Amino acid sequence: MNYPVWWIPSVGGGLLIAIISIVHVYVAHFAVGGGLFLVITEMKAYREDSKDILAYTKRHTRFFLLLTMVFGSITGVGIWFIISLVHPSATSVLIHSFVFGWATEWVFFVGEIVALFVYFYTFGRMDRRNHLLIGWFYFIFAWLSLFVINGIVAFMLTPGAWPVSGNFWEGFFNPTFLPSLFFRTLLAFMFAGIFGLLTSSFLKDRALRETMMRYCARWLLGPVILMPVFSYWYLNSITDSSKSMILGRSPEIIPFFTFFIWMMPVLFLGGLIISIRMPSVIKRSFAVVFVFMGLLYMGSFEWIREAARRPYVIYGYMYSNSVLKSEIDDINREGLLRKAKWVKNRDLTDSNTRDAGREIFNIQCLPCHTVGGLMNDILPITDKFTLFGMDSMLNGIGTINDYMPPFMGTTNERKALASYIVNELHKKAEEKEPIMKLPQLPTIIPSFDDEKDEYVLLAWNDLGMHCITDSDKYFSILPPGNTIYAQLIRRGELPEVVLEGVDLSYKVEPGFERPSGHVPFWKFAESLFGRAIQPDTGLAGKGMSGSMNFREAHSVFTAELIPVVPYGADGSYNPYPLFTIEAQDKNTGKLLAKTRCVAPASTQLGCKTCHGGSWRIKGVAGLSNETAMDILSVHDRMSTTNLLESAVRGKLMLCQTCHADPAINAEGKPGVLNFSAAMHGLHANYLTGRGDEACNSCHPSHPNGRSRCFRGVHAGMGLTCISCHGTLEDHALSLLLKEQEAGKPGAERLMRHLKPRLVDRKEDIKPRTPWMNEPDCLNCHVDFEAPEKGASGFNQWTKGPEDLYRLRADEAGILCQGCHGNTHAVYPAQNPYGKDRDVIQPMQYQKNPYPIGANKNCRVCHTVDMEDEMHHPNSLRMVRNRFVE
Amino acid sequence: MDPAHLIPSPDPISVPWGWFQFFLILTFVLHLLFMNTMLGTGIIAFVSHLKGPKHKSSLTTDISKKLPYTIAFTVNMGVAPLLFMQVIYGHFFYVSSVLMAVYWISIIPLLLTAYYSAYIYDFKHEALGSARALFIGVTVLILLFTGFLFTNNLTLMLHPEAWKEYFQKPGGTLLNLSDPTLIPRYLHFVTASIALGGLFIALLARFNIRKGIEEKSDRIDTGMQWFCYATMAQLVIGLWFLISLPSHIMILFMGGRPLHSVVFAAGVAGVMLSLFFGFKKLLLPTAVSLIGTVIFMVIMRDLVRKAYLEPYFSLSSLKVIPQFSPLILFIICFVAGLAIVGFVLRLAMKSGKGV
Repeated sequence: MNYPVWWIPSVGGGLLIAIISIVHVYVAHFAVGGGLFLVITEMKAYREDSKDILAYTKRHTRFFLLLTMVFGSITGVGIWFIISLVHPSATSVLIHSFVFGWATEWVFFVGEIVALFVYFYTFGRMDRRNHLLIGWFYFIFAWLSLFVINGIVAFMLTPGAWPVSGNFWEGFFNPTFLPSLFFRTLLAFMFAGIFGLLTSSFLKDRALRETMMRYCARWLLGPVILMPVFSYWYLNSITDSSKSMILGRSPEIIPFFTFFIWMMPVLFLGGLIISIRMPSVIKRSFAVVFVFMGLLYMGSFEWIREAARRPYVIYGYMYSNSVLKSEIDDINREGLLRKAKWVKNRDLTDSNTRDAGREIFNIQCLPCHTVGGLMNDILPITDKFTLFGMDSMLNGIGTINDYMPPFMGTTNERKALASYIVNELHKKAEEKEPIMKLPQLPTIIPSFDDEKDEYVLLAWNDLGMHCITDSDKYFSILPPGNTIYAQLIRRGELPEVVLEGVDLSYKVEPGFERPSGHVPFWKFAESLFGRAIQPDTGLAGKGMSGSMNFREAHSVFTAELIPVVPYGADGSYNPYPLFTIEAQDKNTGKLLAKTRCVAPASTQLGCKTCHGGSWRIKGVAGLSNETAMDILSVHDRMSTTNLLESAVRGKLMLCQTCHADPAINAEGKPGVLNFSAAMHGLHANYLTGRGDEACNSCHPSHPNGRSRCFRGVHAGMGLTCISCHGTLEDHALSLLLKEQEAGKPGAERLMRHLKPRLVDRKEDIKPRTPWMNEPDCLNCHVDFEAPEKGASGFNQWTKGPEDLYRLRADEAGILCQGCHGNTHAVYPAQNPYGKDRDVIQPMQYQKNPYPIGANKNCRVCHTVDMEDEMHHPNSLRMVRNRFVE
Repeated sequence: MDPAHLIPSPDPISVPWGWFQFFLILTFVLHLLFMNTMLGTGIIAFVSHLKGPKHKSSLTTDISKKLPYTIAFTVNMGVAPLLFMQVIYGHFFYVSSVLMAVYWISIIPLLLTAYYSAYIYDFKHEALGSARALFIGVTVLILLFTGFLFTNNLTLMLHPEAWKEYFQKPGGTLLNLSDPTLIPRYLHFVTASIALGGLFIALLARFNIRKGIEEKSDRIDTGMQWFCYATMAQLVIGLWFLISLPSHIMILFMGGRPLHSVVFAAGVAGVMLSLFFGFKKLLLPTAVSLIGTVIFMVIMRDLVRKAYLEPYFSLSSLKVIPQFSPLILFIICFVAGLAIVGFVLRLAMKSGKGV
């Protein structure tokens, strides 16, 4: 941000740093251990009085000099050059904070060069004692160089108290200083052995070659045996966050870590094998392989160490894109383009969105990502996103997957960046959410004769919308299953709810009788639910027509879990198929009453916006395989599961097997977040600061979509999801707090970055269980009166299921939904597929769309006008909301 | 776009800037002496090979043996001033480095090539025959190019008004070619190298005679010839460099400011003196006056840098968060390190192999 960004999108600075660093660090460690190797081997030559070993030592010195002094020192400067080009800000911090550390290291570097030159050029010409002394000087200087650089490199991973104090010594002698020093010293000895193997494999004399190679193998074997101990110490010295990152939280590290662990026994065995007598050609090839293995071992270690530091370049202080942690609030407030030095678009306008997005990309993404390059290519990982999806991903980046920095800047800057990635890099056309023109379906209202008819039959679906995931090949969240309720009332001055002596039946409208022809649920039911289910039959045994059962607890007849799908036989999409309900006399079979209601079911879930893929039914709705696979792979990545692979192998899962869900009476696995908490909690991190568009992006409630499930009087009044449920953040927090109370560890991870919006503090939100503790109608409608202006239904929950709108009854035993319609479609509701579709009974019995008995119309059941407000207070009045004409 | 807006905010320093300035000048003088010797002797050897095979090989043999040392120490002594310079001018230097990043990072593979080529030139000097020109040529041309890139970077950092070119070419492919001081400044360094290379050859020959390795050597004459001609050319190039400076900066050294003028006068006096001794073949006085010249020229170079940056930045504006203990550690290690190096070199001398 402070410095210009070197624009090499297809190469990536990270790759250049990796290449130069890894080869340098390999040789640099050799330069330390190899120094000791020289002196010890020279001593061995004297001790054994072996001219051959001495001659070998001299030749090895020449190799050593050419490799370490030339290649080592130039690539060392190379690291400095490349980091100052790719990470100038971080380089500047390292230089300024540790200048005298570096300067001291430079003194040791001078000492190394002088000592090594003298050691090499006086080999055989100086008396033994002095020559060895110079060798020792070299080794000490080299090790001291390691000592200093180790402190500064370790500082970047564990700066200790430095970010607060700025103290040189606290930064230098940081928590990983010692383990890292020991670890690197061991590495140095190992590499001395490896390069010793290489040079001694070229010895002509067979006996000498075998002796020297066995000798060199010991240099390798000793450190390798100790390595696990020091690796363990090292691992336990880093922060818990870095540690968990290495141990699996960051999926990118896993292969490197596994490789690193396996290399230890491989190197050990290799060391043993190479000690066995064998022809020189084989030994030589072996030695060359060893040199490469050493490089890979070094590389994997350095990779892990650097990756464990994510999302920082200096842990807890400076992010990997060079922005200081302390600067973020300012940047978010004032904007990145305003705070950055090297941008030309200081303000966002309509005409510069993408170019500004490019500049934001250069600053925030390019430090780690390439565009079409070898390392961290941005293209494949962003390919699946729509503009909204990309923006949401940026919104939540660095929260749950905290190995990346958060997005820094204003919301508009975030959108500009998303637009650059989606519309410019991926060349995707700007999508515009189409406003669906929905067919207006005929609704035949059953007849009702106010004078003659003896019964009023009320029937409704228990939910305003039942969502279905028709991705059963991969997983299932919500199988098909609508529940229809009905209450039969015998009319009269003292009407009664009929509890016995009648049979109630239901029947779906023509064209919807064969759901199994549209969704693959029945094919996979056995795997999902542990039992085969007859096609076109629901989980409770109900088919598309049949008789209803009496449920005594609520004095209601029900048909549970009817497998309704929104796909008609004619290929149409209709999320509101109609059911006909009939009541007959049990004895005579006489039809007593007949009505209709919708059974809302939708497959229009917005997963594909962020998870890629298209609708399963092209251009219409449904969860496609591509989308489902991405959902599983993201779950696998974030929660280290293996769902995708096992689904592909045919072992698929109902999400609620692990995630408890009262909606379907699933207990889940202990300790795992319940389904609602997990879903809302996770996604809320990606959809902050928004209104109901956050809800509409996943649920079938989008006002321009194919389902438009929020269609009751509240929608007509201009209320939104948020009016009752709170914003997504508030909503998610209420669920997560309950899980946190229950001691589930996953809650904290999802809650950490969520900020409540309707209340000031997290503690002010009342924890709730999904489907049990819901906003109570009476929160706003205090004493059944009109709500006060600005009333909010949020944060006051029903105590339990008995208080839920869908299960609550009035004083006379009639369920609330019977007279007022179902949740989200409260009368007077406007169904998008036909204006009367959701108000069939009010229209049938009263010729208006208002609640049953509205406008003091007690005659519907009582056949006469009444004077007492018997059902509930304030029930005897004219309807307020007459906007539906 | 106001160029001042592009200048990054500097990081705080741990001791007053004067310390860094002092170490910068001290170590840069050392670096220059090694660099001049390295490049100068390399050029002389290359030219000698080009002149033809009849040319005596003792000169190039001598140079070939010293090149690995001079390269090693040039690099090594370059590290320190680069470090201290980054402490006080890093926010200019990193910018110019990024702007020419492709060239800047190319220095690493190029130097490796030059370095190994020099080692081949040394280790296989006899065996190479006519291919020697090729190896020393590769080394010298690369070193010349590297020097050119350094000149580019160290002048580009002084020109924030040229930085906005980045918005047209962000790929790190900018150079500072439009700067009128670039060529004379670069040639100023190269010419100084040839002069110093010549002087080094003469000094080496004199040393060998003293040690009794040789009885008489024509390399003293050859070396001093190179020194004197190069230094005379330097007078012209130096003048070119001076007048190519922006007039408000040039004027500072022509009486505009006392300190600037005194330093410049001392430098000119030094070079005149060294030329005088050079013609007389008084090697040691030449060397002493030349080192004096280099010191004054390095100080002058620093004054030029400050003058360039004056509209944007002054060292006194750097924030100091004092911490002296690391400085003390450095000084102790520096003294102890020098003592050990001295001891090691003495041992080497005793064994009859100089470095």
